[in-house]
Amino acid sequence: MMKSENQSHLQEEQILWAVIDEKEIAGDELLHLHACPLCTKKVEQIKDGLQELGRKAMLAAPPVSRTVTLPGKKPTTNIHNAGWLPFFGAAAMASFVVFFYIMGMKTLPPDNLSPLQVQESLLEDESLMREISDMVDYPLSEDMYEITGDNGIGFDEDFLQFIVPDMEDDFQSEIII
Amino acid sequence: MKTENNNNRTLKAAALVEKARGGNRTSFQGLVNMFQEDIYRLAYYRTFSQMDAEDLTQEVFEQAYRKMNTLQDPQRFSAWLYSIAVNRCNDFLRKRKYLALLRLRTAQEPDFMNAAKDMGNSHYDKIEKKRFWKQVKLMLHKLSAMERQVFTLRFMDHRNINEIADILGKNESTIKTYLYRALNKVRKHSELLKDYRESV
Repeated sequence: MMKSENQSHLQEEQILWAVIDEKEIAGDELLHLHACPLCTKKVEQIKDGLQELGRKAMLAAPPVSRTVTLPGKKPTTNIHNAGWLPFFGAAAMASFVVFFYIMGMKTLPPDNLSPLQVQESLLEDESLMREISDMVDYPLSEDMYEITGDNGIGFDEDFLQFIVPDMEDDFQSEIII
Repeated sequence: MKTENNNNRTLKAAALVEKARGGNRTSFQGLVNMFQEDIYRLAYYRTFSQMDAEDLTQEVFEQAYRKMNTLQDPQRFSAWLYSIAVNRCNDFLRKRKYLALLRLRTAQEPDFMNAAKDMGNSHYDKIEKKRFWKQVKLMLHKLSAMERQVFTLRFMDHRNINEIADILGKNESTIKTYLYRALNKVRKHSELLKDYRESV
């Protein structure tokens, strides 16, 4: 009795088909499945295992942190509907144009300067050229010219006599001769 | 009871679809609220990345919103939305694979730890979750692309066989065959069905 019962147990393949869909196993086997606690247990164990897998997956997945935004959704709908935004944009654009026009005026090329501005500029240039010319004539500082005697003052005559005495006054040289 | 709930959900979704097709944004938002978590999880089970799953969810609903008028039968909305999601995920995974080949990105970027951190769970939970996803990945790795798709839709996304057939555009017997092959491999290798294996 026991032997025949064991022989009629569902095969692995049939167990799996029973898990997928009971309708996939033949009528006799289905009857056996419903009658046999062992085969039913096997099917249930697999089903439970798979159910547990789904449950754990659901729990282990991190929750959604971002909500879906519909395409074309305008977050500030009321502002857009007010209709004043295009006018505001146009006014801003006009302000920019005026601003840049004024800024442009301040940086006009020299051709567009007034006669007074031209005169000022010429005087400034002349002063600068004079300074350059002086620097070419006298490249050294005033102190340096005083040392070298080129400042037009010259050395004192007595000082020079003291440094380089005349020959007739040089008694020492007479003795030697 | 579960079937009844599903039917109610289908009818409710169909009513919202009808209104959304007429340009009612609130109705479409209702559909988003109804399906957002399911689609997010579907994407997460395939990408194992919270950020990618959220991006994909957004893309799926954007596409659904744009193509709303191409859906002929409002009662098929769920399957239609899932098919968009599955295709989007496949495209994404393909792209990620190519980028990995070019070494621009790793093939799989699991952010289990980050996800767990966000959930504010204990360290033990984080480890458990990480271990769980590792097992799932190992298990799914043993399956072919189609087996993996069918298995995930059936046992993780909780879709029934005729829905899966609808989503993937195959007939039911094909789906069952893939499911059988997947179960056969999972039964032999997975830790997740250890209890059953030990009892046999």
